Amino acid sequence: MWQSFVDLTHQLIPWFDGGLADILIIVIKGLALIFPLIIMMAYMTYAERKVIGFMQLRIGPNRVGPFGLLQPFADVFKMLFKEVIFPSKSNIYLFLLAPILAFVPAVAVWAVVPLGEDFYIANIDVSLLYVMAIGSVGVYGIVLAGWASNSKYPLLGALRSTALLISYELVIGFVLVTVVMIASSVNLNTVVESQSGGILNWYWIPLFPMMIVFWIGALVETNRAPFDVVEGESEIVGGTHVEYSGMPFALFFMAEYFNMIFMALLAVLMFFGGWHSPFEGIPFLEGLFEFVPDLIWLLFKMSFFLFLYFWIRASFPRFRYDQIMRLCWKVFLPFTIVWIFVVALMTQLGIGPWF
Amino acid sequence: MEFTSILFYVFSLFFVGSSFVMIVSRNTAKAALWLILTFFSAASLWLLLEAEFLAITLILIYVGAVMVLFMFVIKMLDTDQSTLRAQFTRYLPLGIFVSLIVIVQMTLVLNAGPFDLDTVGLPEQHGASYSNITAIAQQLYTVYVYPFELAAILLLIAIIAAITLVHRTQVKSKKQNISEQINVQAKDRMRFASIKKNSTKESK
Amino acid sequence: MMKKVKKLVNDFSLGELRTGLKVTSKEFVNKKITVQFPEERTPISPRFRGLHALRRYPNGEERCIACKLCEAVCPANAITIDSEMREDGTRRTTQYDIDLFKCIFCGFCEEACPVDAIVETHIFDYAFESREGSVIDKKGLLEIGDKNESAINKAREEDSKYR
Repeated sequence: MWQSFVDLTHQLIPWFDGGLADILIIVIKGLALIFPLIIMMAYMTYAERKVIGFMQLRIGPNRVGPFGLLQPFADVFKMLFKEVIFPSKSNIYLFLLAPILAFVPAVAVWAVVPLGEDFYIANIDVSLLYVMAIGSVGVYGIVLAGWASNSKYPLLGALRSTALLISYELVIGFVLVTVVMIASSVNLNTVVESQSGGILNWYWIPLFPMMIVFWIGALVETNRAPFDVVEGESEIVGGTHVEYSGMPFALFFMAEYFNMIFMALLAVLMFFGGWHSPFEGIPFLEGLFEFVPDLIWLLFKMSFFLFLYFWIRASFPRFRYDQIMRLCWKVFLPFTIVWIFVVALMTQLGIGPWF
Repeated sequence: MEFTSILFYVFSLFFVGSSFVMIVSRNTAKAALWLILTFFSAASLWLLLEAEFLAITLILIYVGAVMVLFMFVIKMLDTDQSTLRAQFTRYLPLGIFVSLIVIVQMTLVLNAGPFDLDTVGLPEQHGASYSNITAIAQQLYTVYVYPFELAAILLLIAIIAAITLVHRTQVKSKKQNISEQINVQAKDRMRFASIKKNSTKESK
Repeated sequence: MMKKVKKLVNDFSLGELRTGLKVTSKEFVNKKITVQFPEERTPISPRFRGLHALRRYPNGEERCIACKLCEAVCPANAITIDSEMREDGTRRTTQYDIDLFKCIFCGFCEEACPVDAIVETHIFDYAFESREGSVIDKKGLLEIGDKNESAINKAREEDSKYR
């Protein structure tokens, strides 16, 4: 038995040399990234309910396991055992394709993001563009879900949220252009490397207004409160999610949370120095925090942004659709264009904090 | 066979197949989705040609924005299949004629010489660390800066023209003045009336 | 002028949003006031009107004399009573059903009862396992009464000075 296994591995060795090993390594890397992500996503739902509960003077889930810590797993099993219902006269293929189209881009963006120095699946040259391109594909999940459900509320939700997502992609694109101009690279690794050297070198100081705009854009892109017009429970029941149940719904849910985690990561990479320690270059503190790994710093900064998602959701009422549109086209877009001009001028003339 | 050639044939198959299905598909939404798959396979083919910037821009612009707007329109259309099919035979001869002309033109142009492998030569192969986005930027902002600016101005004119066309007739919708709403003060909306204490007694 | 500048600065530094965030962050660390229901319960007024019960006298004789006043007064027609003469010559109910789906828990039956037989207890966390379970018959009501006699008595005593 063992001997035959050894023989088999020996036969496989030439295949390994012929590129199979590379593909295997990529697959293993991908799995090693996705499993922690799924756990993170599961516990984000728990954290969200806890944080919002605390802010509303409640205590959130506390029944399943100690402090309700097993609640995400209970939710997962509930979702798994639910029946998948197809609305009559809906387009079943597109109806099932929609959650997949929402989920796949949310996972695919993670292929190029660096999580530390030399810690990534692929380091491509145009990683920022790749991120934006794949991120924009996620809209199809919502579009198709609204169209294929053959129902009024999903259609309304999909209509208004697609228009929003396209509009805010422009704003986010313009904000990222300012970062790219300062870092003079569209490679996420290089952007982070150019921010090395302590908290004062991070881009959130010279680009503070851009960071605010980026974060508001990120809230819209991930369909989070106060911009969750795609769901809008009080207005259009559940938007595109109305007709979905069981695992298809879970895929939408997971896509939303993956996108949230990703947007938090992008904000950290772009404006908060990625995996760099905030104490770099400070004589005493740098040595004191030397032992903290890069990944911990990254996760620490990301968790702040994830907390911000929940904090904002607990604090603000939902915007009306036309107000969000006005905010985009009449406030953010001119504002970012002016800032692009200013940053371009400053970088060209070498003035101020830009160099 | 090399791995890249296998990839080339796979993506070409996807490209041709999905574009064919897109044409024969009767469901508008499905046709749009097949077109998206066509774009993706085209982008993959461009990636094989080391044109990663173009490939990703294709996805960003066409898949991410243009096709979403297409889907937007399709969702609001009344897709009545019978009217779509009604005059198929009437326009068939014209369609065949036009497509024949296009095919002939394409063959003539592609066989004319400038696109021959002998004339153009095989594209230069670069290492993994080669960045063609820098090369594109270099060309675009130095050699071709005037055409680039010209294209930008053309697009700007198109935007302005589109907006003016929409607003040619007077818009008959009630509009809010949001800055007025935001800047409203309590005293604009509320009035303190001083009512005499004894005024209620008189009514009794 | 100064006011306008102040408002402008406040608007552009997202002043109102900051106020909102401040409020929620303050509540985030405040003590939580949630009552953990099955383990903890909020206090209930002695006049609370919950699940019904039929009471007995201390000697074990059931109180109800089948006067049907409760059936007459019930605004939701939730009570159905049938009666006959027992061997000792007293009038007693053979059937006393309350449909809890119809009942609106107004407490009129309790007020109408001349012998304090039908009462409403403090039980509110009950459930039915079948559709027929919503109708409680005489046996069930007496059982509830027997089980909770002390609690019913205590509530009546507490409320007696206000009657």
